[in-house]
Amino acid sequence: MALSRRDFLKSSAAASAAAAVGMSVPAPLQAASNEAQKEWRWDKAACRFCGTGCGIMMATKDGKIVAVKGDPAAPVNRGLNCIKGYFNAKIMYGADRLKQPLLRVGSDGKFDKKGQFKPVSWERAFDEMEVHIKKSLKEKGPEGVAVFASGQYTVMEGYAAQKMMKAGFRSNAIDPNARHCMASAVVGFYQTFGIDEPSGCYDDIELTDTIVTWGSNMAEMHPILWSRVTDRKLSDPDRVKVINMSTYRHRTSDLADIEIIFSPNTDLALWNYIAREIVYNAPDSIDWDFVNKHMVFAASPVNMGYGMRNAKEFKKYPEMAKKYTALERETISQEDEHIVSAKEAPALAPYGYKEGDKMVNKPAGLKHWEISFEEYKKFLDPYTLDYTAKISKGNPDEDIEEFKKKLQTLANLYIEKGRKVVSFWTMGMNQHTRGTWVNTLSYNVHFLLNKQAKPGSGAFSLTGQPSACGTAREVGTFAHRLPADMMVKSPKHRKIAENGWKIPEGTLNPKGHQHIMKIHRDIEDGNVTFAWVNVCNPYQDSGSAKHWIKAAREMDNFIVTSDGYPGISAKVSDLILPSAMIYEKWGAYGNAERRTQHWRQQVLPVGDAMSDTWQWLELSKRFTVADLWGEQTLVSTGGKKKLPDVIAAAEKMGYKKDTTMFDILFANEKAKSYKLDKNNPVQKGYDNSEGYGDSRKVKGSDGKVFEGYGFMIHQYLFEEYASFGRGHGHDLADFETYHKVRGLKWPVVDGKETQWRFNAKYDPYAAKATKKSGNSHAFYGTLAKALSQGDLMGIKDKKKKPLPNKAKIFARPYMDPPEMPCKEYDTWLCTGRVLEHWHSGTMTMRVPELYRAVPEALCYMHPEDAKTKGLKQGKLCWVESRRGRVKARVETRGRNRPSRGLVFVPWFDEKVFINKVCLDATCPQSKQTDYKKCAVKIYKV
Amino acid sequence: MKIISKISLSLVLASSLFLATVNAEEVKADGVKSVTEASLGLRKTNLYVEEAETEGAATKYSDAPAGTSKKIKRAFQDAPPMIPHSVEGLIPIKIGNNACVGCHMPAVATAVNATPIPKSHLIDFRPKTAIGDDGRITKDGHAVDNTSSQERKNISIKENKEEKLTGARFNCTQCHAPQSDAEAPANTFETVYSDKDGATKSSWIGSRMTDDLDTLIK
Repeated sequence: MALSRRDFLKSSAAASAAAAVGMSVPAPLQAASNEAQKEWRWDKAACRFCGTGCGIMMATKDGKIVAVKGDPAAPVNRGLNCIKGYFNAKIMYGADRLKQPLLRVGSDGKFDKKGQFKPVSWERAFDEMEVHIKKSLKEKGPEGVAVFASGQYTVMEGYAAQKMMKAGFRSNAIDPNARHCMASAVVGFYQTFGIDEPSGCYDDIELTDTIVTWGSNMAEMHPILWSRVTDRKLSDPDRVKVINMSTYRHRTSDLADIEIIFSPNTDLALWNYIAREIVYNAPDSIDWDFVNKHMVFAASPVNMGYGMRNAKEFKKYPEMAKKYTALERETISQEDEHIVSAKEAPALAPYGYKEGDKMVNKPAGLKHWEISFEEYKKFLDPYTLDYTAKISKGNPDEDIEEFKKKLQTLANLYIEKGRKVVSFWTMGMNQHTRGTWVNTLSYNVHFLLNKQAKPGSGAFSLTGQPSACGTAREVGTFAHRLPADMMVKSPKHRKIAENGWKIPEGTLNPKGHQHIMKIHRDIEDGNVTFAWVNVCNPYQDSGSAKHWIKAAREMDNFIVTSDGYPGISAKVSDLILPSAMIYEKWGAYGNAERRTQHWRQQVLPVGDAMSDTWQWLELSKRFTVADLWGEQTLVSTGGKKKLPDVIAAAEKMGYKKDTTMFDILFANEKAKSYKLDKNNPVQKGYDNSEGYGDSRKVKGSDGKVFEGYGFMIHQYLFEEYASFGRGHGHDLADFETYHKVRGLKWPVVDGKETQWRFNAKYDPYAAKATKKSGNSHAFYGTLAKALSQGDLMGIKDKKKKPLPNKAKIFARPYMDPPEMPCKEYDTWLCTGRVLEHWHSGTMTMRVPELYRAVPEALCYMHPEDAKTKGLKQGKLCWVESRRGRVKARVETRGRNRPSRGLVFVPWFDEKVFINKVCLDATCPQSKQTDYKKCAVKIYKV
Repeated sequence: MKIISKISLSLVLASSLFLATVNAEEVKADGVKSVTEASLGLRKTNLYVEEAETEGAATKYSDAPAGTSKKIKRAFQDAPPMIPHSVEGLIPIKIGNNACVGCHMPAVATAVNATPIPKSHLIDFRPKTAIGDDGRITKDGHAVDNTSSQERKNISIKENKEEKLTGARFNCTQCHAPQSDAEAPANTFETVYSDKDGATKSSWIGSRMTDDLDTLIK
């Protein structure tokens, strides 16, 4: 086809513009007329949804988003998005967007817990927050003020929230929904590597021969990564093997060579079986040179409970105890004592337990110690093929010999010399009452074979949320964390943060114990009386949900929710704040391969909605040095521990008693050095509602039209956060660079990203650490890097031996979860997501195409089970546990096809409020809830 | 045990009384309309108890066999089209068994009244990734420091010589979904097609794929 003259001019103009920044248009592409889109402005952005972190191209016209397309320059997704990714175009336009603050008031116009919602000004909203925060601080101390934070915060929002909470309110009660999504992965990383986040990157997919998915329905939950797996599989179908390990059949099985359906929780046994095959039956496959140089073996206590409430709490809070029924207490009693079952007894034999023994549980914390290889070998002994197959076969209709053959093949694929293997996992291994354990077990197998932190090989934790890595983990919006892998517990780390934040020494609170379930429980106990929900939906997404929605409404407290739409959390709140959504603000996310990606504000927010960053900054104007930095009591210590009065120290630093937190933490001299500049190519032509205010003339905290902060707040927050990680293995590039590239994988050193961490060939930190030794790897993380010595039963020599640059192989046995099917509640319930909806559905259920694709949460079950229970396809059933029940329609032919004995019900649907049925048991180490298993009965409506 | 049950029963009663107030109809105070808790969000029924009135919106996908249904307009220019026909028996998609391509490949699509798979789906956008002899990562044979720069060597657009669906786009249902006949929550997105056949046809071809990628010069 001949080019028209106009097309020719157009394409050569594009080519010369592109050449100016070193990019050239690929030669063979035929020029297509863009005349029709000349009013459209295309810009790059990151997808709002999962942890994959795809790049999108987004078009705006007349201040509205009009289209989204895949970004061919984005290395993650190369021009392709999934259905949710494309519909980023419509997520901000649901008709019931929140546009004004809403406060519950009585007929006198005053706040009334039992009142109706009434629109109020931002000024009034902040007045109420101020009053209630001050009241909580006075009555309950800093631990009485809590924030439900998020893995969907932008980096800047998360940093602002964490800074105000920890430095301002001196409260560590800020914990993200990411606790529910990858806390087990994090503790696994810390315990194994001494530092958080994966060693590998997505290029592993193109470089590997074997993809094993463990508790990860990648086909639906990380669709673009799955498209890369599919591409790889199709490119070499004989060599490339895909194995799906799951408790039920789902779409990931559709392309798998082998599907292994296992009984819930037995992934622990399966990993140990593979390790046993290596150690006992293929000892030559162990790379002893690698293991000796880089590994130690370790063990930890097994009687640590299941992260539920315990008898002590019920005694301490008799009013709370009344809220738990006898049925609920049947399961919760496991927290104190557990009878060893026949299923777990062989695995616990090396620890001195036998079937029927009473295991007395006690908090174990994160304690672990070094053991010998011989001891580890002894620990592995029970996981024979016979025992493992017997306890782990998850499909009652599968022949045991067939199942054994599959397990053997699986082990052989891992062991095969020269075969590269990537193990991916997501919520199946993280949402697990032994989640930390099973995470560490995955590395064992890869370490023994020297198949970790190498191109195409490694155990690789996939993250659920778009910035669970970037914000929650890297910024550290957790109860126990500070930016860049620092911990509130460490005096050294607190000092670094205090210096960086220019706040007095001693300001930061050393006790960080209020993880997200603890915050819910503290609200139920009356210990937290102010809570603010940011970018999450904790009242829909927490197990034992009935307790928390009641605690929000019936206790004397003040709950605030900032959101784009009124989800369940907004409904049960006292104050609802309208938040700017994703492309209505500047932002940055960090994905599961350590890639940080930024975007610019594409459009103005709707109504009076403002960003969460703005909300935090406006709130900070209400609190002064005198309000917050006097002596504070930590109520959880029975009043024994106090935070010191640092007002005098603050005055020495030049602050006054009435200096506001806004001036200290956010609008300081450093912040103001980041200039707004309409000619800067990054800022040029883009809105900046926080910087300049905008044409909506929203009235702010003081009742006056908000005219902007007058400096580049987004750049300031990002750069200050980044300063904590630079030089410490968390190096990020500068703010402007990220606007020129499609993300970079940290550590970014000398302008270069890092592909494989800990590998001396690719990671400059590892290269430095191995300069003298010449080793191939350095596991240079510094956390828990000196261990006492002992055996499986405990510590024998308390003296701590350092293990610099080493990682750990852990002995951790199979154990039952606290609630399993019984005669009355005879079925396993597993919950999770579907491709078309994101989390609690607040955004995706408002996109008609996504809503119509999956309008309801179905109860997926085996046709035989339906028949036995007298249920019919498409008809309603009750799904009932000891905690509650919900109705859902029976689906026996859908995309999820469980074996007999298990049902899957997703949690996106407000009308099928499945978290009322789920249990809030957690991994006692990571505090992450196990949403993947509890016992239910199913019957006809 | 009995005592506990009694107490929790009375708690349930107490809370349902309390809820009755919460769920009252909209009231007016100070001339400003109040908003009831129950009127907010997608679930309009009592949140605190699960009773008869609360159930999901029933799924009603089209029964129309492929080839007989009316096409659904694209949501915006180059949005993935939704599936207007029944997919029963057509999914799951498996290796060696992708029923979608049977009708939608361009060579046959028009003849069977199916939307043809557009050119973008026959293009491989992913550069060949390998580890070079020196251990460095290469893309299409070039060693790269960063996988993400906008340099030409990092963008790869390769049209398949023969008409073949690219591997990355094999899982049709990751972008295309059947639609239930349901009243969806209202959305104020305004559809603006840049091309006159934008409701039915992809225009994402040729230089349109790359023209806008440099986002800093405008």
